[in-house]
Amino acid sequence: MNHPVRESHPVLDPRTAAPFPEAALPVLRNAQLRKNVAHATDVIQGKRNRLVAEKTDWLELRDAASALRAHVLEHLAEYLEQFEQRCTASGGVVHWASDGAEARAIILALLREENATEVIKIKTMTSVEIQLNPALEQAGIRAIETDLAELILQLGEDEPSHVVVPALHVNRSQVREIFRRRMGLEDLQDDPQALTAAARTYLRAKFLSVPTAIGGANFLIAETGGVSVVESEGNGRMCLTLPRTMITLAGIEKVVPRYRDLEVMLQVLARSATGERMNPYTSIWTGVTPGDGPQRFHVVLLDNGRSAMLGREKERQTLKCIRCGACMNTCPVYRQTGGHAYGSVYPGPIGAILTPQLMKLEHAETLPYASSLCGACYDVCPVKINIPEVLIELRAQVTDRERESERRFFDPIYLGMRMANGAFANAGRFKAAQRMARIALWPFTGRDGWIHKLPGVGGRWTMTRDLRGLPRETFREWWEKRGKERAR
Amino acid sequence: MTAGSRELVLERVRAGLGSVESELKSDYANSPRLYTQRGSMNVNQKLALMVERLREYDAAVVECRESALDESIAAEIAGSGRRTLAAPEGLPRQWLASSVEWRIDHDLTNQQIEQVEGVVTASFCGIAESGTIVLHHSLTEGRRVLTLLPDWHLCVLRASQVVETLPEYFARCAEPPPLATYISGPSATADIEMTRIKGVHGPRFLSVLVVRDDGSERA
Repeated sequence: MNHPVRESHPVLDPRTAAPFPEAALPVLRNAQLRKNVAHATDVIQGKRNRLVAEKTDWLELRDAASALRAHVLEHLAEYLEQFEQRCTASGGVVHWASDGAEARAIILALLREENATEVIKIKTMTSVEIQLNPALEQAGIRAIETDLAELILQLGEDEPSHVVVPALHVNRSQVREIFRRRMGLEDLQDDPQALTAAARTYLRAKFLSVPTAIGGANFLIAETGGVSVVESEGNGRMCLTLPRTMITLAGIEKVVPRYRDLEVMLQVLARSATGERMNPYTSIWTGVTPGDGPQRFHVVLLDNGRSAMLGREKERQTLKCIRCGACMNTCPVYRQTGGHAYGSVYPGPIGAILTPQLMKLEHAETLPYASSLCGACYDVCPVKINIPEVLIELRAQVTDRERESERRFFDPIYLGMRMANGAFANAGRFKAAQRMARIALWPFTGRDGWIHKLPGVGGRWTMTRDLRGLPRETFREWWEKRGKERAR
Repeated sequence: MTAGSRELVLERVRAGLGSVESELKSDYANSPRLYTQRGSMNVNQKLALMVERLREYDAAVVECRESALDESIAAEIAGSGRRTLAAPEGLPRQWLASSVEWRIDHDLTNQQIEQVEGVVTASFCGIAESGTIVLHHSLTEGRRVLTLLPDWHLCVLRASQVVETLPEYFARCAEPPPLATYISGPSATADIEMTRIKGVHGPRFLSVLVVRDDGSERA
């Protein structure tokens, strides 16, 4: 079960995705996509900023949220055990999955027990992380995404590009085309109202007939064994209420200590994620309640690389994330490229630090560089994850890896750095290098004293900026000359 | 399979955290909570804000006095033009207006609930700041499905149940509820070009009857 599953359309998989700069290029040339992404991120960000500004205790809420998440991570084992115990006592069944393959196997086994041929799904990025849908498909089980954005992507054979609004790269006429084709609605108009109504009708029958549902969790409550799902449309409530069996897939970091902690988490989440004072629906349930909702309830607690992050002090904070997506909306890189270029279900700044840690670093080496380190993501993060700090730490790890790698002797940047290292280590060599560089660069230096275009690797620098030519005389040369003149 | 992985995951978590000195670990009780716990509004301001926020979500809001509650419910129902309504088992009998046909939830099937045109329930709490209604799904608030499938939800909220801030709601929970639903306006989506569309899957219409039971003045 350890090899990646095959799929009918491309899946966001860091192991097979192109490096970020390569993947970003086609997006940068796609004017429609950039327009869609810019519009969506502008709107959410505007709403978020307005609602954060009206909240006079925002900084205190952020401090509280940050401290709570850090506290949970420091005591994660105890809180997970407490959650398991309380959830089990309330009639839930808790499963533990060390990696994605095991989580898929557990879920497939549960679905076989149910004789399921179809499942309805609440939006869960964690299920994309473990590539659940392709595995279900392979097993002959049809997964039906019920979140509007996820439905658009599923019918359009597309992939999420944002953790909160996964279809933000698709506009209304593209949605109409997808729905027309896949729902057989010839006369469908392209206003969002009509498109939403089409989805409501399409899914209503499924909600009432499919007996098994899969979803994620926004919060696992250790004190009660309860689970919370935060949503807007009501598709989550449908999946959490109507089926016979509910399966929740949740990362192990999703725990909060007590029910009352939601007073902090929900306030920062809704404002950061969608720019609302509160999202339309928040559901909390605890195990199984006789007569109300699914009578079989399973939680799959997923590690998949998370526990390894706990041991590194700087990187651990990555797990504080509550998936609000605010860092994406504000990121000058994400706003240009959209989500797909990151080659992972977790795009944007948080993805740039989360993906390389969840995967082996070598599968996502370019992601820590997909940032200008401007710090906008840190400013908006409701749980105060210092994303630039982690980015720099990961860049250092990439460099360390390169230092060990065989192909380093063919890498011009590595060789250049080696040479620079040698030159800077010794005054005589430095002086010689300066002289050599002056001669070597002279042909490229314009009359204005600037270098506008360099050949080879150097061209990457001059592609977007000019370089000051080397002066005829260095400071040291001038100093020595001056000394000699004085001595005379 | 699972038993082994349980130990494996917990072991890895503990091993990861082994590097954190136990005296450096934070204490839950000392976690900073300097955010606003209690609001500063008087009863009238609080109710006015609740009503304003509900209306921002396009919920219909009507206010009445406790003594006029039964007739106000009947008037709302009549005004809605709906004929078949569902009600939770424990809904006060006097709330069941005689002008419509009632399906009382003594174990209605999902299909039966899907057939009704609306539902009338009580509620546990109202949070003014965000215009949120909290249901704990008691006998007067109904099972979760009851306030989900019907297209119209008429919800009775007493002024004495309204708090200003979210933390005040949590302060009112003596025990954490096993089931809870927080409703902030009718079902909505902004998935297509960030255009807010009402009524995706949950009730498309939410009406709230605010009952002045606390001696506050009528707005």
